[in-house]
Amino acid sequence: MEDMRKSKHPIGGLADKLALPALTLGTVLTALAFLLAFTVASPVMGAKVNGVELIGDEMIGNQILLSQKIFYFHMPVAVTSMVVLAGTAFFAIRFLMTRDALYDLKAKICTELALVFVICTMITGDLWTRFEWGVWWTWEPRLTTYLILTLMVIAYFILRAAVDEPERRATFASVFSIIMFIDVPISFMITRLIPSSVHPVILRTDSGLSPDMLAPMLCALFGFSLISYGLYRFRTRTEIIGQRVDVLKEALDNKLGN
Amino acid sequence: MNSVLQEIYSTILPSMPFIIGAYVLVWVALFVYVIFAMRRFKTVESQLALVERTMNDRVMNDRQ
Repeated sequence: MEDMRKSKHPIGGLADKLALPALTLGTVLTALAFLLAFTVASPVMGAKVNGVELIGDEMIGNQILLSQKIFYFHMPVAVTSMVVLAGTAFFAIRFLMTRDALYDLKAKICTELALVFVICTMITGDLWTRFEWGVWWTWEPRLTTYLILTLMVIAYFILRAAVDEPERRATFASVFSIIMFIDVPISFMITRLIPSSVHPVILRTDSGLSPDMLAPMLCALFGFSLISYGLYRFRTRTEIIGQRVDVLKEALDNKLGN
Repeated sequence: MNSVLQEIYSTILPSMPFIIGAYVLVWVALFVYVIFAMRRFKTVESQLALVERTMNDRVMNDRQ
């Protein structure tokens, strides 16, 4: 049997050894982000009120918008979903170049993770939209392009389930995931390209995020990135071992049959 | 509480279900995926144990 550490898709190497620390650190960072968001990050002010009041050591003359706290998880999960989808596209291209089925497996696992983060983005975004804009849904450019992305991620799994032959399934899924990835930069850039878009733009040079707001946001961003890496390695390792067990079972069946 | 403070804090309580919902549901979504990953791992682990047992039985039979 091929040495698992020396193969083109090694398991049990450094990348796998880092998975558990990454998962643990990611969980700690996201928990820290949650705490910082509600303790350190200054509140965002809304509409003016009739008068001012001294709260703590500050004179406040506006409504306090606590709903903005959703942003500290919403934006990091959205960015993570896009990064993971870049991984899907990368492995899809590698599969089309090499026809190595394990690249297709890695692309599938990346899309699984993308589905989780896309769902998280839609949930957090929708809850914020419902409270701030008073509607569950609006056909705003960022929301629309991200909804298309969500539907494409779901369609990826429907496509995989619809094709039985493994080689054809992998080829179709790879081509589809490359097409799917085209929507990622469109969704990311749409708020910059269409000025009428009402979706807030955070990643820009003058975003106005003070260090106390930047800290929880970055903690959550690195936290979710590490969690996605840890889960990706864990799932990849499980599936590669599963495939090797299948090969062993087949060999054993043949031997027992003789 | 005076009327100005009431106005300043007016959006906090109504927004709480949405904020709690957002944070809880993110953790729930990730937790569900972790459970799915763990279940798949357990299945692979039990399949490996079965292969190992079958091979051991085969070796024992060959020796006898």
